Amino acid sequence: MSFNPKNRRDSGARRPAAVALGLAGLLSMAACSPPGTSTDKTTDATPSATAAGLSATPTCGTDPITLEAYVETGFPVFNELTAEFEKQFPNVSFNTREDQFAVITQNAPRVLVDSPPDLMRLPQVSELAKLGLLYDLDGYAADFGWDQWPSSQLEQMRVNADGRRGDGPLYAMGINFSMTGVFYNKELAAQIGMTEAPTTLDELDGYLKAAKDAGITPMAQFNGGATGGLAFPLQALMASYGSPSDINSWIYQAEGATIDTPENVAAAQHLDGWIKAGYFADDINSMDYSLMMSRFIGGESLLIFNGDWESGNLDTQMAGNAGFFLMPPLEEGGQLGAMSAPLTYGISAKAANPDCAAFFLDWVATDDTARTIDIAIGGSHPMGPTDAFMPDIDPDSVTGQTLAAGATVGENNGAMDFIANATGAIYAKSWTPNLQKMFAGEQTPAGLLSSVQADYEDEIGS
Amino acid sequence: MKTSARELWTGRSLLVFVMFITIVPFVSLFVTALHAPGTYPSGLEWPDEPHWENFINAFQAANMAELLKSSFLIELGVVPAAVLISTLAGFALGHLKVPFSRTIFVIFILGLTLPFEGIIVPLYYQIRSYGLLNTQWAIILPLLGLFMPFAVMWMRAHFVNMPVDLSEAARVDGASTWQLFWRVHVPLSMPAISSLAILLFLWTWNQFLLAIVLVDDPSKRTMAGALGAFQGQWGTDIPMLCAGSLLILTPTLLVFLAFQRQFVAALLQGAVKG
Amino acid sequence: MTDSRRTGSGLNRRPSASDRSLTPEARRRADRARRLRRGLPALGLVAPAAIVYAVFVLSPLFATIQYSFYDWNGVTPGTWAGLDNYKRLFTDEELFGSIVNAFQLILYFSVIPVTFGLIAAALIRKFGASRLALVSRTVLFLPQVIPLVAAGIMWTWLMARDGAVNQFFRLIGLGGITRAWLGDFDTALPAVGVIGAWVSLGLCMLLLLAGMSKIDPALYEAARLDGAGAISEFRAVTLPAVRQELGVAVIITVISALRSFDIIYISTQGGPGNSTLVPGLEIYYLAFFQREVGQASALAVALTVLVLAVVLPLNRLARGKEDS
Repeated sequence: MSFNPKNRRDSGARRPAAVALGLAGLLSMAACSPPGTSTDKTTDATPSATAAGLSATPTCGTDPITLEAYVETGFPVFNELTAEFEKQFPNVSFNTREDQFAVITQNAPRVLVDSPPDLMRLPQVSELAKLGLLYDLDGYAADFGWDQWPSSQLEQMRVNADGRRGDGPLYAMGINFSMTGVFYNKELAAQIGMTEAPTTLDELDGYLKAAKDAGITPMAQFNGGATGGLAFPLQALMASYGSPSDINSWIYQAEGATIDTPENVAAAQHLDGWIKAGYFADDINSMDYSLMMSRFIGGESLLIFNGDWESGNLDTQMAGNAGFFLMPPLEEGGQLGAMSAPLTYGISAKAANPDCAAFFLDWVATDDTARTIDIAIGGSHPMGPTDAFMPDIDPDSVTGQTLAAGATVGENNGAMDFIANATGAIYAKSWTPNLQKMFAGEQTPAGLLSSVQADYEDEIGS
Repeated sequence: MKTSARELWTGRSLLVFVMFITIVPFVSLFVTALHAPGTYPSGLEWPDEPHWENFINAFQAANMAELLKSSFLIELGVVPAAVLISTLAGFALGHLKVPFSRTIFVIFILGLTLPFEGIIVPLYYQIRSYGLLNTQWAIILPLLGLFMPFAVMWMRAHFVNMPVDLSEAARVDGASTWQLFWRVHVPLSMPAISSLAILLFLWTWNQFLLAIVLVDDPSKRTMAGALGAFQGQWGTDIPMLCAGSLLILTPTLLVFLAFQRQFVAALLQGAVKG
Repeated sequence: MTDSRRTGSGLNRRPSASDRSLTPEARRRADRARRLRRGLPALGLVAPAAIVYAVFVLSPLFATIQYSFYDWNGVTPGTWAGLDNYKRLFTDEELFGSIVNAFQLILYFSVIPVTFGLIAAALIRKFGASRLALVSRTVLFLPQVIPLVAAGIMWTWLMARDGAVNQFFRLIGLGGITRAWLGDFDTALPAVGVIGAWVSLGLCMLLLLAGMSKIDPALYEAARLDGAGAISEFRAVTLPAVRQELGVAVIITVISALRSFDIIYISTQGGPGNSTLVPGLEIYYLAFFQREVGQASALAVALTVLVLAVVLPLNRLARGKEDS
């Protein structure tokens, strides 16, 4: 730090340095072409994606093969499945790397280009597909017969050439599809006289009030950091007030779709009502997922909004004490909808072993042991034909309840993707801050939706 | 100089208070680390049964042996090289006549204020084009560059204060610049050099941003960089996270404690002399 | 001790015989040429450091400037955007807000530790050589030694709803103000600031203490003889003498406030809402999360310029009086 200001005034360090920097700056701007290289976009003619030249169905062969996988932490079902797979097919070994959900989302484009895994957990595929980073799975779908399954299972993973979802080539595959709704603590429920699931929203409101009056925290929902969990109840309410297929259109980035509809505003107002009535724990803006689970399991909150990936866990830790129900409709017997999305995994366009990876995905959906593991550990319904093997599950367990709910939602055509998956950044940058603000009273329900819609339009450039 | 007893006591209690505030978070980390995994202990409370095995489990779960190795590799790559080239540059700029020395020095100084975030994006693409992403070199090379402003300034400040007569005498005895440097100045500069080395060691160990952006594989990062992925590993299993954090802290603490007297003194002296 | 800054009265200025026959202009040119030749080996010593610096710092810096004029998603070729990214820094609430937050953090990361450190050092200097002081030096430096993310983790836990901070408040009867400090819109940024203050407090105190220990005791004697109390003694003797250390402390802490990343990444990720979003974190999100590399680069350039704009005057201030 011997920067003597006196020296500046004579021949001056400043001038030569400034000139040098300025020149270099100009040079850098003038000389260079725009950054970025055109990716060798794997168009629909991905090699070996078509059946031509392949024997009947792709397999993992008999030579030793290592599959590179990049998955999410905290969900043991994948590792259990790979362990079983390695047992059944000893020539295959998995090299699995785990990272947080948020990190995976953010790393996805880089990793798919720079160190392409064979299998990768991908929460949001439309942008990645548009950039040509993912393997087109239509060929495998034909080979393995996936297109014979109920189309709603695969619909969410199809992306067309415009980057809109719902139709087009298949770019990801699920290892199960989840069901979300309301989990409640049976003991606490009994205390306030709730012996069975509410059948209308008004009934649910009544129970929430009763819980609050009895000094029980009605709801604790994670809403802190970069993941605003209030999106769960919000979406569930939106399905009760409006139409799940409209919501899906918005998520799929259909032309002219908007989330800012009167029904959705009403749903948001209902949520706001709960917030203002104090039905949520007061620290949810700094609560993360694990804390929410820990409080629920510890008997500190009556209900939480979560998904069946926790069913197995709850059956173990709260045996017999946890129940599940779908968000009730406005009127008895009305529209039932729930966020139900496949746990999506994609294959990189540059993967080394796409055939084996695809075979694994098929195995998960068709092998009996795999399906059992899927349900027991993952809690969610495996993919596959409707008449596929299902292990015996105690209908009273939480897992049994969520599976039954899944069937109900299927019948009602009420399955929706998660509103957080509409675009790559809509969750962390738009839903979450706005939901946090609404909880703190700094955003109105109408403002929440119009703000999200504005950010949505910004992001998809329409 | 008379100082009243009251002044002494105010001073002492204030000092103790500040030390207390400094230590409490460490204690809290330690105490929490002993709780049963998955629990959320409230405040500072000693668990009914301390789970000492949390440390062992954290060590294994986070693959710390790999991490330690990786961090040491990175340190080996960064510290000796950085100290060497900055000492050379500092010697030249501070003690010899170098053309444009002021310009060169200013360019280095401007780098002192540069936030790493300012260059992290192109650094990513640059490292990728060298094919070094996901290796330790991805952290070593940029750190070498990023440490230069401080290191050069530090060594230059030291050499500027070395008496010219010493060099004159050596030259009269026929020493070349090179010999002047190695035989005369380096031995005299050991305090400055070693405290620089320690500082760079610490900063490399604690480097976080570069590690999480340029290296995806947690086991190839710095210890601190792994802490970020760490947090996701268990959602937030607080006791395990605390145990893991303590394990990650410990090497730096040990290094610091081993060299503390020399280090703190040199740092303060150096910063002051500026 | 001679003025050790080289004033050119060194070894290389002996004019040779041939010079005397040249015009002053030519002599100067010859001088410069000779200096250049003689200086080349010395330049060689500077080269390794300069090269590494140029390749891994300056070159990416120019690249950042270049990217900031494009609209680029990091994968496919970018499109020219002119000054749009810069304009958005002022119009977009989130971007502008992050800059405002960084400046607010200066209060906590810098002003508080420096002020407190100054007062504390002044009180402590009287027994600067005692055992207690020596132990304290080690202890107080600890926060600087650990990774910032570790500090973030410690304090996130301490400030949770059931954390030790609230436990303490309840203990002293202030149970009413307890809350999840990092989750509350009003207190999140100050709470993050507290973490930063904790990290810097010991360093500031030690820096200032070192500065104070250089003061000649005779000055204090003189002040006492003139009847000065503790406060005027502080203002008249202590404060002016530590101007340089004060400058260093302020500059270091201000830089750490403006470019904060680690602490916020670990504790709040910028939330709740965007109340703790700072430029460092926003650059990271924009570039790697939202794939808006151009915008991220513009923010990065703005951040760098801001840091310079704040630090250079501070540097002048700290040096100015000292040189006069």
